[in-house]
Amino acid sequence: MMSKASRMVGLMAASTLVFAAPMRARDTRITSDPLQVRGTPQQPTPPTPPQPQQQTDLTLSLSGSGSHPRLAIPAFIGAGADADLLAAAKTVADVLWDDIDFEQEFDLVSKDAASRVPVAQTVETEPYDRWQELGADALVVGSIQRAPAGFTIDLKLVGVRGADKQQQKFGQSYKGCVFANARACAHFISDDMHQKLRGLDGVAQTHLAFTSDRDAQRLAGRSISAQGQSKEIYISDYDGGNPYRVTANQSLNLGSSWAPDGRTLAYTSWTAGYEDIYVSNIFQARAPFRPAAGDWQKQNQFSSWSPDGTKLAFASDRDGGWDIFVVNRDGTNLHNITNSRRAGIINGTPTWSPSGTQIAFTSDRGGSNQIYIMGADGTGLDKLTSDASSTDRPTWSPAPFNTIAYAAGPGPGHDIVLIDVTTRKTIVLTDQIGDNESPAFAPNGRHVAFRTSRYGKDQIAIVSITGKIQRKVTDAGNNTSPSWSRAPR
Amino acid sequence: MSRHHLLTFAAALAVTGTVACGGNPPPVAHPAAPPPDSSTGTAATPPGGAPGSGRDAGTAPTSTVVPAPPPTPTMSADAISADPFVNESTDAINQHSPLQPIFFAYDSDQLDDAARHSIEDDAQVLKKYASWVITIEGHCDERGTAEYNLALGERRALAVKAYLQSLGLSADRFRTVSYGKEFPFDPGHAETSWAKNRRAHLMVTSK
Repeated sequence: MMSKASRMVGLMAASTLVFAAPMRARDTRITSDPLQVRGTPQQPTPPTPPQPQQQTDLTLSLSGSGSHPRLAIPAFIGAGADADLLAAAKTVADVLWDDIDFEQEFDLVSKDAASRVPVAQTVETEPYDRWQELGADALVVGSIQRAPAGFTIDLKLVGVRGADKQQQKFGQSYKGCVFANARACAHFISDDMHQKLRGLDGVAQTHLAFTSDRDAQRLAGRSISAQGQSKEIYISDYDGGNPYRVTANQSLNLGSSWAPDGRTLAYTSWTAGYEDIYVSNIFQARAPFRPAAGDWQKQNQFSSWSPDGTKLAFASDRDGGWDIFVVNRDGTNLHNITNSRRAGIINGTPTWSPSGTQIAFTSDRGGSNQIYIMGADGTGLDKLTSDASSTDRPTWSPAPFNTIAYAAGPGPGHDIVLIDVTTRKTIVLTDQIGDNESPAFAPNGRHVAFRTSRYGKDQIAIVSITGKIQRKVTDAGNNTSPSWSRAPR
Repeated sequence: MSRHHLLTFAAALAVTGTVACGGNPPPVAHPAAPPPDSSTGTAATPPGGAPGSGRDAGTAPTSTVVPAPPPTPTMSADAISADPFVNESTDAINQHSPLQPIFFAYDSDQLDDAARHSIEDDAQVLKKYASWVITIEGHCDERGTAEYNLALGERRALAVKAYLQSLGLSADRFRTVSYGKEFPFDPGHAETSWAKNRRAHLMVTSK
């Protein structure tokens, strides 16, 4: 039986990231290698299967009690570091703190309290008694060095109290970081730590797509007297960092939807005058593809990818009403699955179940807008919500969860509600402040991004599935209609 | 000579004297004096008194300016078009449009009396300008979700199109599109604003 001190959840295989920043193509890879603990042989352990909130022996040992170890992040060590290197170190430490705080798997000593502890230059000279006073179980000790194309961060988790004091519990050397995007270095480290220490797929390297009018131009084709300003698609890091624009068609663009590969984006655009679905590979400068082949008589909106990425569900008015259709991603086998075909019924905003066998959608067939579930082959119909007011825009969680988030309320204010599909129990995730709409699940199912008016203009915010509003991730202009990707593969 | 013959001769003379205005010779026209010389600021008065009475032709000014004849314009007659929009772009037409918008009740695509009257007026305009192609935009107020309002807006546009067709206008003159609640005409947050945004808006897209 191995002692706690020598047990390491270190994977022999280096984890790699294809560090592709769209529009700023780079061939940089961040890699992570385990740091040797002096005198302790490395023990390869098989990778743990990704499960939410699974604790490893290591994290249990760190905390001593309770399930969430408390970490502190001192200023990173940079012996002989110049101003640029120190600035990069500060960015990485700041963003890493925010990333760890976001996933809520570890408690953290506040940045403010940590900044008042004297900076140490080595693990041995850390003032452990000060850290102990602040309630830390372990320190995240980082050191930065220059590398040919950027810099390297060596990161160790070191125990603070009792027998663990000064003991390295975890150590990785992160190579391939670049000055132009130091934030990405922190995001890689955060995901790596959560994977190895908690068995969790973190979201630090994932992206948001959303609609914004921040660069608004006159809407092409509309008279100046009508207030039509363009709303384009933007992509940012999950925390709102590094935002950039991906459409430039001077039109209305909404309903962005990431494919599971994290590289393909579908969206609804009015650039042809009417709304149609456009599919773009964001890493390739090619004209987007239109799988629904719309025209003035066949208008299409709000596409949703199947979990295996082979199909799109969307709403179309081509058969007389608004029905839900499914099409292969290459445009073949387009077919109507709700078959209402009557001008009086509106079916809209489809979303796929985690297994890909069912589709939830909104319909007013019962009088008010409610959410229904149907087999993806069009068979079966199950009414999920029967709210006194209306419900709209469902988004189905990824596996292993089986929940649906949606917007509920009579308006003008809506709230984001989470329903367990099995038990039908609901919890309200927002707090009746402002109008809250258009929810989108994180790829690990632990958070929901949504549009909110609580800050004045429309902004994208993120709430955890326990109902804690955690972050506002946009700033400029009015921002709506979010979608949340996996990291590109 | 007898006294009879002398009287006759005198009478004859008197007659001729009467025709000649009492016997004085008619006045003779003299050349008019030149207009006052503006550079001296004084009227040029020829010596010898008022113009026309003297015989001082030797001292009157001799230069005269013959004014140029007025230009003869090249005229043509063009008909005034009965179409006040003939030279206007569709953009300009839409800025002061002859087509009225149609307004709706909350969460509805039904046409009330006022809506039908507006569409009937628009139909008259469109019959007059038979070449105009129209895009009917459907708009909504902010209260529903963005997604629901996109569908509702389309229904409003289609309701207007259907009524226009029932008034005899050809379907191929009309296209419909919904903008949901994305482009409100009034950004306010009360019913007075919302009422202005629940509308179908007719835009001339070609003429």
